[in-house]
Amino acid sequence: MYELFKHLGGWLTSGAQWSGSDGITHRLAEHLQYSLVATLIAAAIGLPLGLLIGHTGKGAFLAINLASFGRALPTVGLVVLVFLAGGLSMLPVYVALVALAVPAIVTNTYAGMTAVDPDVKDAARGQGMRGHQVLFQVELPLALPLIMTGLRLALIQVVATATIAAYVSFGGLGRYVFDGLAQRDLVQVLGGAVLVAVVAVVLDLLLSTLQRFLFRHRTA
Amino acid sequence: MNRRTLLGGLFAAASVPALSACASGITSLENQGGTASGGGSSKGGVTIGTANFTENQVLGCLYAAVLTAAGVKTNVRPNLGTREILIPAIKGGDIDLLPEYQGALLHYLDPKATATEEGEMQNALAVALPAGLQVLPYGMAEDSDAFVVTRETAKKYGLTSLADLKKQNGRLVIGAAPEVKKRQVGVVGLKDVYRVEFKEFKSLDSSGPLVKGALKKGDVDVANLFTTDTDIQANDWVVLTDPENLIPGQHVVPLIADRKADSTVRKALARLGNVLTTAQLTELNRQVDKDKKDPEDVANAYARQHGLA
Amino acid sequence: MTIDWSWIGDHTYDLTTLTVSHLQAALSAVLFGVLISLALAVVAHRIRPLRGFLLGISNVLFTIPSIAIFVLLLPVSGLTRTTTVIGLTVYTLVVLLRNTVEGLDSVPAKTREAAKAMGTRPLRTLLTVEFPLALPVIMAGVRIATVMSISLVSVATYIGDGGLGQLFTDGFQRNFPTPVIAGVVLTILLAVVADAALVAVQYVLTPWRRRRA
Repeated sequence: MYELFKHLGGWLTSGAQWSGSDGITHRLAEHLQYSLVATLIAAAIGLPLGLLIGHTGKGAFLAINLASFGRALPTVGLVVLVFLAGGLSMLPVYVALVALAVPAIVTNTYAGMTAVDPDVKDAARGQGMRGHQVLFQVELPLALPLIMTGLRLALIQVVATATIAAYVSFGGLGRYVFDGLAQRDLVQVLGGAVLVAVVAVVLDLLLSTLQRFLFRHRTA
Repeated sequence: MNRRTLLGGLFAAASVPALSACASGITSLENQGGTASGGGSSKGGVTIGTANFTENQVLGCLYAAVLTAAGVKTNVRPNLGTREILIPAIKGGDIDLLPEYQGALLHYLDPKATATEEGEMQNALAVALPAGLQVLPYGMAEDSDAFVVTRETAKKYGLTSLADLKKQNGRLVIGAAPEVKKRQVGVVGLKDVYRVEFKEFKSLDSSGPLVKGALKKGDVDVANLFTTDTDIQANDWVVLTDPENLIPGQHVVPLIADRKADSTVRKALARLGNVLTTAQLTELNRQVDKDKKDPEDVANAYARQHGLA
Repeated sequence: MTIDWSWIGDHTYDLTTLTVSHLQAALSAVLFGVLISLALAVVAHRIRPLRGFLLGISNVLFTIPSIAIFVLLLPVSGLTRTTTVIGLTVYTLVVLLRNTVEGLDSVPAKTREAAKAMGTRPLRTLLTVEFPLALPVIMAGVRIATVMSISLVSVATYIGDGGLGQLFTDGFQRNFPTPVIAGVVLTILLAVVADAALVAVQYVLTPWRRRRA
């Protein structure tokens, strides 16, 4: 293990490792692209769904159970299935990553919405606010911290799982992991793994900083 | 391997049931010790490992079929990965027997090997193999690596041999399994022997859906396939000739741990090797890939048909 | 994409074996995860400064791709079930450790003091008072960890294990959707059944919560 980490230093710092189409810079950009696109799509699906369920209180049981099904979906199986159905493109990867991210976003958004004090909602309605006004001006801001937690969780999982793109011939940091496995080049595997972890941690820190910035006026 | 035994016990590791376990399984963790001096013994059963492509599973199941018929308990573990993963696994004792290919194995062990004739290669293998491992006599059947282009690409660039690739240095994209990038019978040898430099290497799979799909679509210009792959003929693809003999003979050869290589095993595998032809192996691959038959069914049927089981 | 039902009919034995193997890998990982988390959570609960450190480590481990963990374990445990179980165990920790610590936190200080006043020794208090009271939160973690492990086992197909995951690589290589569909459906079924079983276990283990309800 010590040897491995010693070689990792050389792998990460060699200039050649960073340039070219198989270089870290390029692979990093690909990985970020896959992760961010997938998380954005998942958010576009999961946020409205979670808000709707939380606001109306309808379909909660169904949604929570579906989310739990979603968590059980095997990513490898999903990628292969969509590949066999539709041929080689990024679609299988995006379908699998979105399926992974949506449950975390829906359940946390819903949890955030249900945590809003019913008295506050009543008061808002009492002041003559309409349904959508209550949703966007009262519930959403109050639920935002938990919603952000869901987004962060989803993003971390997506970043770690975007590795799978390399299984179906695409790039990203997973390239180092899958190529390293085939070549039994453990330094390369470790390098890829460490870079993925760093990307996940950095993105998470960025989001938590953003969160703190957004809520800087709020007192606990 | 003390820590492995310890962990093995702790984790109550049972046999990893394989999709195409060709016979009643024994656990892969049993019978690791006992590096019996001399002959070795297959009494405790033989665990056959296979690589991540169809033909290797077919061969593994053929080994299982003839060994079972000879009274040896076998367990086939399919789809374990590449040679780079499998050789350490057979050294470490996770598997005992592995269907290998003469030239490819030799170049893995010794990239500078010069032997090309089968007998020479067999001798060179005996020298190059680490202690505890040996190859049994090679069989008739052969499956070579091939570098393949589409008919259109061949016409467009005037390609008939690997030597012609040099004319297009820096322009062509090659697709192959990731390990081929670092192999002598691969990108390394193509550069050494033919001075070929590609524009890009695409990591795909071993004569599988990715590399063949990419060649069809034109995502890669040159693809590394196996000569026993019926898709080469079916698609009218062109196999580039190898005037400098970069690609060594690739007769199927059993690689086995000394501890399991007793006379029962030797005899059974030698009989198979003397019967199985390249054309038959190609047909068995086709039945698995195209007719979606199970490797073990195909292998058992073949063994029965040819009086091997 | 059609399902070849006759293939399914011919492979019920294989499918059963793979399902059992799949479940065994996931459950072993959760079991080891629970044991490790219980031990670490007690440490994290008693020694505050270690808390952030331990939770931080489990969070960072969670960000490492599972396939990489399996590959990096090869020099240690080879192409064995042990590699699969260690890798999966690492992933259960992120949920199990946090929930166990939170579970212990949820035990009212007064309850702990009462046990102490009655002369109960610390280890006994832990086993008979704190763990049972923390159980609902711990079990919530166990449920998530179990479903997550069941979905992750298949990644080990890249190192020749992976239970139902073998159906995915097989179907992929042969352009054959039937095994893949079977594998996905069985994985989800397994997760649903395991989750329901855990709800039942929790119901049996926490009789006091039933009476209150």
